[in-house]
Amino acid sequence: MNKKVLVVDDDSDVRSFVVTVLEENGYIPLQACDGVEGLEKIQQEKPDLVILDVLMPRGSGIRLYRQLKTHEALKALPVIMFTGIAMRSFLKSQKALEAFNGGEIPKPDIYLEKPVEPEELARAIDTKIG
Amino acid sequence: MKIKKLLFVTKFEDLCYDALNALLDLRKADLEHVIFLNVIERDKVAMKRGSGYLKEEEVKLKETANIRFIDWAESLFEMGMEVGAYIEVSNLIPEILKVVEKEHPDLVVVGRSHKGALEQLYSRSDLTELTRRIQVPTLVFKHMLEDNLLLEKIFDRPLLATSWSASSQAAVDSLKGLGRVIGQLHVMHVVNDNDLKSKDSHEVQNVRKFERKRLDALCDIFEQQGIDTRPHVYVGDPEKEILKAAREYQASMIILGSSERNAILERWMGSISRNIADKSIYPCLLFPVKK
Repeated sequence: MNKKVLVVDDDSDVRSFVVTVLEENGYIPLQACDGVEGLEKIQQEKPDLVILDVLMPRGSGIRLYRQLKTHEALKALPVIMFTGIAMRSFLKSQKALEAFNGGEIPKPDIYLEKPVEPEELARAIDTKIG
Repeated sequence: MKIKKLLFVTKFEDLCYDALNALLDLRKADLEHVIFLNVIERDKVAMKRGSGYLKEEEVKLKETANIRFIDWAESLFEMGMEVGAYIEVSNLIPEILKVVEKEHPDLVVVGRSHKGALEQLYSRSDLTELTRRIQVPTLVFKHMLEDNLLLEKIFDRPLLATSWSASSQAAVDSLKGLGRVIGQLHVMHVVNDNDLKSKDSHEVQNVRKFERKRLDALCDIFEQQGIDTRPHVYVGDPEKEILKAAREYQASMIILGSSERNAILERWMGSISRNIADKSIYPCLLFPVKK
């Protein structure tokens, strides 16, 4: 059975790009346009992989990532970060939040900084669930 | 009321990262979430004779804004803050109100209006339009550098001008929670000389004594929260006297309740709070009239 991949990004052009890559590689694409909708879709649709932007309205990818990785039933769900925010800043944010809230969060499985070629994105997806 | 979430509205020419940075002291209180909003005015990408809708221009403007926001967001994320961003082609005021409805910020930060006096009289300034319709405290940020005053931590030395109205009371309630942010607070009330029954010195001193007592009570409320507070009574034209006090005490911003006049009256007679917010060199924090 084809695997489901949820793309969470507020930019409709980026979602279209990812959806095209997913369809061309035999995956079932699902979409959400912010962190709040993303979490709802994850709980409803139970995707096999999440492709997650960081800078979004109504709940950033950083918040959603932490929600996933601290949730007993969802922490094993693989996540590919796909964002314009540099990985260095993402990791620093996690450190700052750890200092504040406690609890170490694992690094994302794959971190892709926009823009990427379709082949690179497809390779990353295949690495996780192909 | 706590300021946990801030909506920062920028056209980039008016407000940039230095303005945001001047507000980050609010983290010492409760600030944890910043939302950026850039509205690309429709006329910049609208249908033009011979060229139609300028899609390429829209993409370029959105990307330029996105790059700025990514840069700012990285700095805030690194501090452990939560950040969100909207870049929309729309009309400024309706879009601000739409985002306020979605995000429920505790404070909205906007730049100074750039419309001329005549234009404002007939079409209203963006600021007048916004503060009439918004139900959230709004900070009108100014670059004091334009006027040779150094930009600093703007909550360091605020001046609260109270008219004893409900919106002034809302300002008091909100400021009480900023004990760790405010350096020294100045509170003032202006007795409008038109409201004096007579101009003899006994009457003026009596009114001064009465208002000073009310201000002292207000100072007690703030000092219970650990905020060093100084009271001042002025007599005269409220707009002029508030600006005079701001200069005398080197205020880092002016805090006011919004006018409770109706729209027509306000267009012709003006509003003290909006006039100060629109024209003075000081950043102004306006508290709305609850509807």
